[in-house]
Amino acid sequence: MPGRSSEVLATLKSEFGKFPAPVLERFEKSLKKMPSALSDDQLAAWATMGITIASQTVRSWEAAAHFYRVSPAVLGNMPYSYFEQWMECGSKLCEESPTLASAYFEASPAAMSKLRSRHIESWSKLGDNLYKGTWKSSTLACRFFAQSPTLLDSLSFQELERFASFLDALSHRSYDLASECLLLGEEIFPLVGEDKDAFLSLATKLIDTGWREVKSFFEAGAKALPRIDQEQRLRFMKLAESLVNNGGTNIPGTMLEISQALSELEEEYHSVVLGLAEALLEEEPLAMPEFIKTSPSVLEKLTIGQLVRWYEEGVNTLRQNKDGGLAFFKIESAHSESVMEALSSGIEFDRVKPVMEMYCRGLAGAEVKLAQTGDLVEKNIGWVSNESPTTEGSTVFVPSVVDRYSSKEENFSWFKVVSTHQVAHLEFGSFGFEFDEPSHLFVNLRWDLEQKKLESAVVVDEVTPPQAPDDLTQGDDPNPNKDQEQAGIERAWLTDMQRFFDLFEDRKLALDVFTVVEDGRLDYRVKNEYRGIRSAYVQVQSDSSGNRPDIKELPAREAMVEFMVRLSLQQYEGVSAPIKYADEAKKVASIARRILADEATVEDSAEASVRIYAIIASIPNEEIPPEDWNDMDFEDEDDEEYEDPEDMEQLLQQIGMGMEMELRPEGEEDYESIEDVDYRGDFKPELAQLMTELRMQQQDEVGQAEGEPLTQEQLQELLENSAELDLEAIQGEVQESSGMFADNIMKETGADMPQSPENSQGPFVHVDEDGGELDSAEPETFVYDEWDFRADDYKPRWCIVRQKTMQEGDSSYFGTTLNEYGTLVTRIRRQFEMMVPEMFRKERKLMDGEDIDIDDVIENMVDIKTGSSPDEKFYWRRNKVQRDVAVAFLLDTSASTAEAIDEGKKGQDDWDAPDDPVEYMVWLRTRRGEQMRRSYKRIIDVEKESMVLLINALEAIGDVYGIYGFSGYGRENVEFYTVKDLEENFSDRVKKRIDRIAPLHATRMGPAIRHTTYKLDQTDARTKILFLISDGRPQDRGYSREGVEKEYAVHDTRMALDEAKSKGINSFCLTVDKNGHDYLKTMCSDMGYEILEDINDLPERLLVLYRRLTM
Amino acid sequence: MTTQTLYKSYIIEEYHLEEEPYYVPVGDEVELFEAAYQQRLPLIFKGPTGCGKTRFVEYMSYQLGLELTKVTKNDDGGINMPLVTIACHEDLTASDLVGRYLLEGDQTVWIDGPLTRAVKVGGICYLDEIVEARKDTTVLIHPLTDHRRILPVEKRGELLEAAEGFLLVLSYNPGYQSALKDLKHSTRQRFVSIEFDYPPRDIEAQIVQHEAGVDEETADQLAKLGEKVRNLKEHGLGEGASTRLLIYAGKLIAQGITPRRACQVSVNWAVTDDIAMQRSITEIISSIFE
Repeated sequence: MPGRSSEVLATLKSEFGKFPAPVLERFEKSLKKMPSALSDDQLAAWATMGITIASQTVRSWEAAAHFYRVSPAVLGNMPYSYFEQWMECGSKLCEESPTLASAYFEASPAAMSKLRSRHIESWSKLGDNLYKGTWKSSTLACRFFAQSPTLLDSLSFQELERFASFLDALSHRSYDLASECLLLGEEIFPLVGEDKDAFLSLATKLIDTGWREVKSFFEAGAKALPRIDQEQRLRFMKLAESLVNNGGTNIPGTMLEISQALSELEEEYHSVVLGLAEALLEEEPLAMPEFIKTSPSVLEKLTIGQLVRWYEEGVNTLRQNKDGGLAFFKIESAHSESVMEALSSGIEFDRVKPVMEMYCRGLAGAEVKLAQTGDLVEKNIGWVSNESPTTEGSTVFVPSVVDRYSSKEENFSWFKVVSTHQVAHLEFGSFGFEFDEPSHLFVNLRWDLEQKKLESAVVVDEVTPPQAPDDLTQGDDPNPNKDQEQAGIERAWLTDMQRFFDLFEDRKLALDVFTVVEDGRLDYRVKNEYRGIRSAYVQVQSDSSGNRPDIKELPAREAMVEFMVRLSLQQYEGVSAPIKYADEAKKVASIARRILADEATVEDSAEASVRIYAIIASIPNEEIPPEDWNDMDFEDEDDEEYEDPEDMEQLLQQIGMGMEMELRPEGEEDYESIEDVDYRGDFKPELAQLMTELRMQQQDEVGQAEGEPLTQEQLQELLENSAELDLEAIQGEVQESSGMFADNIMKETGADMPQSPENSQGPFVHVDEDGGELDSAEPETFVYDEWDFRADDYKPRWCIVRQKTMQEGDSSYFGTTLNEYGTLVTRIRRQFEMMVPEMFRKERKLMDGEDIDIDDVIENMVDIKTGSSPDEKFYWRRNKVQRDVAVAFLLDTSASTAEAIDEGKKGQDDWDAPDDPVEYMVWLRTRRGEQMRRSYKRIIDVEKESMVLLINALEAIGDVYGIYGFSGYGRENVEFYTVKDLEENFSDRVKKRIDRIAPLHATRMGPAIRHTTYKLDQTDARTKILFLISDGRPQDRGYSREGVEKEYAVHDTRMALDEAKSKGINSFCLTVDKNGHDYLKTMCSDMGYEILEDINDLPERLLVLYRRLTM
Repeated sequence: MTTQTLYKSYIIEEYHLEEEPYYVPVGDEVELFEAAYQQRLPLIFKGPTGCGKTRFVEYMSYQLGLELTKVTKNDDGGINMPLVTIACHEDLTASDLVGRYLLEGDQTVWIDGPLTRAVKVGGICYLDEIVEARKDTTVLIHPLTDHRRILPVEKRGELLEAAEGFLLVLSYNPGYQSALKDLKHSTRQRFVSIEFDYPPRDIEAQIVQHEAGVDEETADQLAKLGEKVRNLKEHGLGEGASTRLLIYAGKLIAQGITPRRACQVSVNWAVTDDIAMQRSITEIISSIFE
């Protein structure tokens, strides 16, 4: 438009004449590029603005030239109204400094493309603020403009503002430094990641504390940040910041060192180490860098768990002595090193568990599990000590860490002795105690005692109200109603152990005596049976007896029990006993010794306990002066085999002593339980027997055996009476805590209390019936028909399957699962690998091959002889028979798979699902919410684990396989998740996806099966298999018709499976729903199906089935 | 100069036991075998490897041979109950069992297979690890196992009637629970099954003591080890430690190897390659043996 331009030009021509030629040149060039949409007025305003700028100062014509040059480009990025603003800003800048304005104009085209138009003014202000009228400040401000476009790549405008104000603050100290930091910013900000604010605020703080360090801080940041795991960078910066807050010096250097240390660590440990470091800041900021710096070298010796313990020790030291603590973390103290040494020589449960669990199973010959004591305490069923090893009849609990000794060997051997002792309870039948089983080493007093007790109880109940205590023991008179009474008292005990302890007045004492006797018996048995462990055992015993409390400080009765403990620990020489009771001590010793025999049983222990109890209970629990003690030796004392006293009546009388509390001397102390022997731990025979009983009862129930189940009251009573529980020690009412234990025990053994029936089927009104056909407009959606068995026809285009790829989670899940299954994995893998050689078949009658076939050669020779033409094909060769299997696993990921495994027994049908979509979602969510909180295993977890094992096995034989999950709500939302597609190769991503399999919504099987069929149909394998793993019947909102709810879904599923079959796909259904027979018969009439009795068998069973199906 | 053969060689059907094999009955297997033999009912021995199945069949053939000798009063005083053992493998063909033509000079000569020989001579034919054989091969024995007691020799076009004393005994290790390696029902239901398992601890100790020549205590400890290791079966061990392995360990001990080491090499490393499992067993060994 030369006309227009010349017009504008004409009016300004004279103006341009005042300035050097380049201004006009620029103007003319740009004029041509200005958008034609501009009105003449606007154009004129633009031209005038340039002239205004140019005429401001002597040098401002340069700025004007720049202004003209960039204008077309700037205008391209914004509407004219903002362009005006831009011009205004430039003009203002020029008033202050033409150089600044030039820089502003220069940077504008690039900056404008990254800057919101509304920020123009603020941006120019930023530069303006940096300009303080000096030459240096001008350079900084110009540089700021020049850098802005690059900075805006990694900073938002707000962040740029903060950066500018940081530069401003820094420029008060040094312009050069500010300039350098400005340049470094370009490098560092892309590294900082999400949280630049943290970085900037840290930098700003540095200005106050040590501005000279700012530049090196920037440099350090640029080096340090890339070394740190992206997600942990913010934490790293926060650490640095609080270091600054706490007066740390040489921050950049520290940052470099820390990041260097972190870069030496495995990335997975970053989070732990940083977490500890954060906590350490609160203790002593200066120790934090030291801790991080030494952590790599510490981790070379220790595991991450041990590092935490080392750290805790360091914190303790720090609290007592700051310098000591610092030295500790620098590993410049002997204490630090010795802690490290002790830790690294410790035995960690996790490390030895697989080996020791197998060891225990081997010894016990039963499905013994090994767990940490903490797990048992958490269950809150009566065990409270975190340290004592123990067992509850099926699991051996051991401490999580053993670090008693300074060498690994010693610690391990302690661990082994402990495990062996606990297993001995199972192996040598501590919990198999039967009240009616006779003892072989002793005359059986138990039965008479019970008889007496019953009689006296009857006396109390019927004859008199208890007035004189003497009456209690006078139960001699024969009771005519005895039988009747006995029948009434029949179920007073739940376990034989309880029945036994019921004999004693002082249960605590009885339990202690029995514990010592039984443990002594086991120790003897173990040492005799297992010669190899004997020396380690003896060592542990003697160490243990060194740790016992001083017997002389105990009152007499407790001292007697302690005396037994010493004997049972093989301390036969110099065992102290009160002189006064030397005879009793000898008697106790000889009884206890009798039990040390290979043929001794738990019943023998019980009988021995009865006798020892009788002796000890008769000793008053009084203080014995220190001089009244005597050391006794029993080493080679084989004299006087223990004999029951002639007068059996008297012995019984003695045992009855416990009941005559009133006859005790004044000032006697209550009997307190003595300390557990460390390696023997907690022995709770009553509870263990109870648990075993309950478990058995539970199994019986499943097998529909008769027998009255325990009531909570009975259980509670047992717990309240038992000496094994220290109910008073736990806060709250006895009633309450025993109730809690009872609850927990019931849960633990799976013996749930009867529940109110909730599963009644509510009326189900169908609403979704009148919808029409559906379309799949979106990508990755597929439409399928649905079978209506009532109408005997398909509902066309009825369901939409939405295919999605499962999100990715953590890939470590895969490895962890494989580890958990340990030996099963190797076994399965081996079984699958064994399939490989079976793929070879000998092929005969070949022209060429491995060897000749003797029969064929002879035939050949015969042919030659007889003159007929011989057949030269007499070689054979093994040919690989190509396995050509494609299998799709279809996992039910419906909400019901979130059910905990034990609860699965309730057989919920979930038919009370609301049919309104909104309500339905709420219902699902609450259900899932309930289940989310549970930490125990759910059906889905077992499904996931099965998939892990399966993948591991399938990779061994190279079958084509796909894994899909399905769920959905309503026919328009059938979700179909791909975990691994058929064609996809197994990769880390698949591992990650497995982690994310989670319970979702309902179970509309039909469309999911149809979609899988479609996928399988695309492959050209010879054998195609569809493997459906579900936890119940198909069901979904609207997956039904009035009156025939269940049948509708079942029939559609069946039809879908039939369709698959007609396409040459074999289907197999595996379900964990025990009530599955009724519908599976219909659903999979002529296809294979199986119902798993126990969901825990799923992984193993699945693989067995898979092999069978594909061979 | 005379040449002396350093080995003994037998014609298949003439092999019989001359010395009484050492066998300690655990249950009623001896009576069962004798009863079955009287009625000529074929037998199948089920049991894990190294528990004494083969030794038992040897023992029985010797025992039956003794009776046979007593009844027939053979002149040579020899014991006359041939035992033909055939180890089955997956390429075992029908010809391998029945026989085949071989070339000899200008003509072909028929050579009887081991099964045919046993049928003719009337001995015990023991097919070891029958599940390893191909399914078509196992079908071949069907007519021998029912009332017909015949062996069709297809290539020669003849039917062989089994001699009076002939009995077919199979052994089979149910440990291989592979779907492919299970016996067909039509085969299994032709046999009387005797189940074998490792003997109880005291008997096993007695056997180990006799076979390995170790003292009573060592034998008892070995038996204990066997028991403990077998507890681990199904926890990653395919098979428990067999009596045979325990005897090997005993033999090594008798030769002066330390018990722990002997068990390590002969038991532990024989039953598993799994490192964790080996460590567990090592711990068991070190608990039992000093």
